[in-house]
Amino acid sequence: MNVESVSLADFRSYPEARFTFTPGLTAVLGSNGRGKTNLLEAVGFMAGIGSLRGVPDEALVRSGTDAAVVRGEIAADDGRQFLVEIEIARTGRNRVLLNRQRVSRLRELAGALTVTVFSPDDLQLVKGSPAHRRRWLDEALVACHPARESVRADLDRILRQRNTALRQARGRISPDIAVTLDVWDAKLAAAGDQLRCLRRELLSGLVPRLAAAYAVVAGAATEISADYASSWGPEPLAEALAAARSDDVRRGVTTVGPHRDDVSFEIDGLAARTHASQGEQRSLALALRLAADGEVRARRSVKPVLLLDDVFSELDPGRAGALALALPDGQKILTSATGVPPGCSADQVLLLDGPARSPERP
Amino acid sequence: MSYSVTVQTLIDQLGRLPGIGPKSAQRVALHLLKVPADDANRLARAITEAKEKVSVCPRCFNLSEDGAECAVCSDPRRDGTLICVVEEPSDIVAVERTQEFRGRYHVLQGAFSPIDGVGVDRLRVVELCDRIVAEGVEEVIIATNPNLEGEATATLVARYLAPHDVRITRIASGLPVGGDLEYADELTLGRALEGRRAVDAG
Ligand SMILES: Nc1ncnc2c1ncn2[C@@H]1O[C@H](COP(=O)(O)OP(=O)(O)O)[C@@H](O)[C@H]1O
Ligand SMILES: [Mg+2]
Ligand SMILES: [Zn+2]
Repeated sequence: MNVESVSLADFRSYPEARFTFTPGLTAVLGSNGRGKTNLLEAVGFMAGIGSLRGVPDEALVRSGTDAAVVRGEIAADDGRQFLVEIEIARTGRNRVLLNRQRVSRLRELAGALTVTVFSPDDLQLVKGSPAHRRRWLDEALVACHPARESVRADLDRILRQRNTALRQARGRISPDIAVTLDVWDAKLAAAGDQLRCLRRELLSGLVPRLAAAYAVVAGAATEISADYASSWGPEPLAEALAAARSDDVRRGVTTVGPHRDDVSFEIDGLAARTHASQGEQRSLALALRLAADGEVRARRSVKPVLLLDDVFSELDPGRAGALALALPDGQKILTSATGVPPGCSADQVLLLDGPARSPERP
Repeated sequence: MSYSVTVQTLIDQLGRLPGIGPKSAQRVALHLLKVPADDANRLARAITEAKEKVSVCPRCFNLSEDGAECAVCSDPRRDGTLICVVEEPSDIVAVERTQEFRGRYHVLQGAFSPIDGVGVDRLRVVELCDRIVAEGVEEVIIATNPNLEGEATATLVARYLAPHDVRITRIASGLPVGGDLEYADELTLGRALEGRRAVDAG
């Protein structure tokens, strides 16, 4: 799939702008603060993944204005043409249109555009909290099967319901609280068992890709293993929730479930989070993105658009060159403050210059 | 320029209505000020009269008038052994449109959602259980919305009804998931009623 054009109005630093892209590699160049990441963020938004930087929507609306508009044209691999229009309101609900039809959830855009994002923050996938790894896995899950988004969204909402009920209990299991927990536990158990199962199945498919991608990026064949570290045992989640109930009521939070799970990676038998060198961690982070991208290509026979935000500058020349070679075919948009990275040949260069911040309109 | 206190009060009151944002509130207010006084007064009268007359049916919690039982409860031709449980009175209107259902209703007055402050105590489930015994009900069809909270509400109702000697069914899927009963078309909703299946208490 290709992003053919992106038009922005009052999005981040852009009062108004329009970009067109080639189906090959586009290098977006400009010094810091010129809006390179902002542009990639807009493309990410069109793919329904929300802000690349994980910030609330209102940060995307240009300061001093009430709403941002992102409009983009996408050519799907099967020849279909999509028009995505999103109005991001500073307050209130966003309006999302796909081919001029209203869609209720931003995530539904994943059916029109799928992206694989590489960012300097990806090191957190290896070094950071379990939430980063769960997000990586869940994003890959949705990218592989856009319809699965509802499992994840339901789980989030069920958890909010159960945690609210736990807080309302104030440490005591009254009959009303008991029946409330019975109901939400049943929902959580069903969604949680399903999500854990989907994640495990996905992860086992990702491991061989991960090892292959790591070998390319790091330039050496290495044994990579990934273990799904669940917060509960082999029993159904319903049993684990029942066992944890009094504890949960006392603490006011749900202590077992997929939201407490993690993935642990090992490089040559050593835990990547605690034992790997910075360079190995960077290679693994890149491999995680490449592996997920490969899985999407294999399962859906679509080619996600690659968004690479300033990733080459963080890598030593060896890894940078290896990454440039390892990038799969299809459309790629990369940003850099220091020119087209060595080893990449750009089909198009977009130079963002002019003032770092656009002047306010009168 | 800002509006006078009178105009701003009208805008603010309209803005408190569900689904009406500040912009729409302003548009409606200015529209009301433009139309002939008769038209605006008719609206004002309709609101006042409805608030005076309309009450909640003491049996099923549907809308009724002057504190009496609602039109469905007071209709002797309705099948008293069959109760359709819904979230809101608007759902009754939707089910009635299908002309497939000849039983009575029970309005829970919401969906089970602790986030929204709707706990067990806020839903009319105990009143439903009382009716099972008092009215000799044989089947309860749970027709809550086909979304997460609607499903949780269905599970809750089923749990409360479990000790009673009554058949519990849930309207069939086929309704758009995540949707609203109210917006389902008659044919789909009619089929969903017909294809209802037994539920257990989850
Ligand atoms: N909501 C916003 N309104 C106005 N300017 C913004 C907004 N969000 C970010 N910016 C500006 O955008 C610039 C950063 O753009 P960015 O795309 O991150 O730059 P880079 O080219 O270095 O990637 C900053 O100068 C910041 O002030
Ligand atoms: Mg940047
Ligand atoms: Zn009634």
